Amino acid sequence: MLLDAVRREALSDPGPEPRQSGGPTPSPAEPSARGIAVTVRDLHKSFDGHAVIEGLNLFLPAGGFTAVVGRSGCGKSTLLRLILGLENPTGGRIDLEGPEGSPRRSEPPKRIMFQEPRLLPWARVVDNVAVGLSGHGTRAERRERARAALAEVGLSDKAGHWPATLSGGQRQRVALARALVSRPGLLALDEPLGALDALTRIGMQDLIERIWRAQGFTALLVTHDVAEAVALADRILVVEAGRIALDLRVDVPRPRRRGDPDLARLEGRILDHLLGG
Amino acid sequence: MPASKRDRLRDAAIPWLLPAAILVGWQAAVSTGLVSNRFMPAPLDVVRAGWEAGRTGELWTNLGVSTLRALAGFVVGGGIGFALGLANGLSRLSERLTDTSVQMVRNVPHLSLIPLVILWFGIGEAAKLFLVALGVFFPIYANTLHGIRSVDPGLVEMGRVYGMSRAELFARVVLPGALPSIFVGLRYGLGIMWLTLIVAETISASSGLGYMAMQAREFMLVDVVVLAILIYAALGKLADALTRQLERACLAWNPAYRSA
Repeated sequence: MLLDAVRREALSDPGPEPRQSGGPTPSPAEPSARGIAVTVRDLHKSFDGHAVIEGLNLFLPAGGFTAVVGRSGCGKSTLLRLILGLENPTGGRIDLEGPEGSPRRSEPPKRIMFQEPRLLPWARVVDNVAVGLSGHGTRAERRERARAALAEVGLSDKAGHWPATLSGGQRQRVALARALVSRPGLLALDEPLGALDALTRIGMQDLIERIWRAQGFTALLVTHDVAEAVALADRILVVEAGRIALDLRVDVPRPRRRGDPDLARLEGRILDHLLGG
Repeated sequence: MPASKRDRLRDAAIPWLLPAAILVGWQAAVSTGLVSNRFMPAPLDVVRAGWEAGRTGELWTNLGVSTLRALAGFVVGGGIGFALGLANGLSRLSERLTDTSVQMVRNVPHLSLIPLVILWFGIGEAAKLFLVALGVFFPIYANTLHGIRSVDPGLVEMGRVYGMSRAELFARVVLPGALPSIFVGLRYGLGIMWLTLIVAETISASSGLGYMAMQAREFMLVDVVVLAILIYAALGKLADALTRQLERACLAWNPAYRSA
């Protein structure tokens, strides 16, 4: 199996018309109708004069699954927050481009899943999911769609429960349903499984992969777990000192088997790089 | 959770054991002459005094007057405290403008203003309303502000990312998050409400429970004095019980408030 599309400092310039350059698009089963493409040009971000992102260039094709790994403090979470618009860049540009021809207002939204579930403790599970539809349709319609999203993550029976009564993994699944209920074009995952136990985490990874394949949104996963990045993504970016130090394609077909030797080799290689090998 | 009806009955009875025992002991002490009934009337005498006052309608009039004063003062003071707490919790400017002044005034014991208030308002209704409102204002203000400040910023960020409008963010994230703290303020406020009202009525009033107690003292009617004190206790307990019910209804999501 080929996993050797390694380029140091790859994509230093995404080009003026990146969407026509036909970048890496090892996309889900059916071509994405909803994904948002992301173009990042010469991005800079500093906090109190301390530079976190220094001249980063990046193109994320619509419908791709990209993982960003790196040591803590390398700027990977900041990159994600910048792309989501949670922070304003100090310099450079970020362009999000929705599916062809969709009018500005009805563009598919971008959603984020945080490390903590961040559910409203005072709202029942179904209403928490309906938060993802803020401002759309009537209350009854929102609940209807929220129920459907809960069914997708296998939690139909918990719709009427309080979040406090759920386990950690169940809460994160509710958060996933909330992120997905609005049919996002971009789903950012900020170490969403970091607080879960190993078995629950594997279950969640499978769930995220399955839903991504079915829905075709652009997925951007920030994680410190290299094995997780390798299992889920079709492209892995290693961020170091505010730049992309390594850009790897993962051409292992899906569904991927845990413990696959190709994946293990790739994981070893990224770890070597991270540990300064 | 109690399994059977008998267990539940027993659970409900336990808090009342001690007051009942005290009543019985008290009655026995006075009946046997251990305590002179000039200083401490027997419980049965108090009941009789209550019956008498209820029959003439004096009790109901005074109770009604006091309750109305208490509620009016509470609504005014609590309303202003809540509004200012919200404003200062949501707006930096408003907080910078007013919080220092509020904190300064807060350190003045509001009952120390009684002489001044009598000078300003005489002994009319305005004086009582002012004192109760002032007393209730601070706990409600401080706890509302604290509640809004302590709302999880992660939830607020989530609400923003998920496209909530400012009004939605307030109604669905900030206010519910501040509610437990607001309830703490409410309970403190209710306590201060009664305390202030009784003191004010004792010192300057021509009707109300405090006035009734003071009149009785003039005529050495110890049983009526004790009756008034017991009514305060009952009213305080009633206010507390109502707040608890409200808390349970509003904070059902919080495991700490779920009824056992």
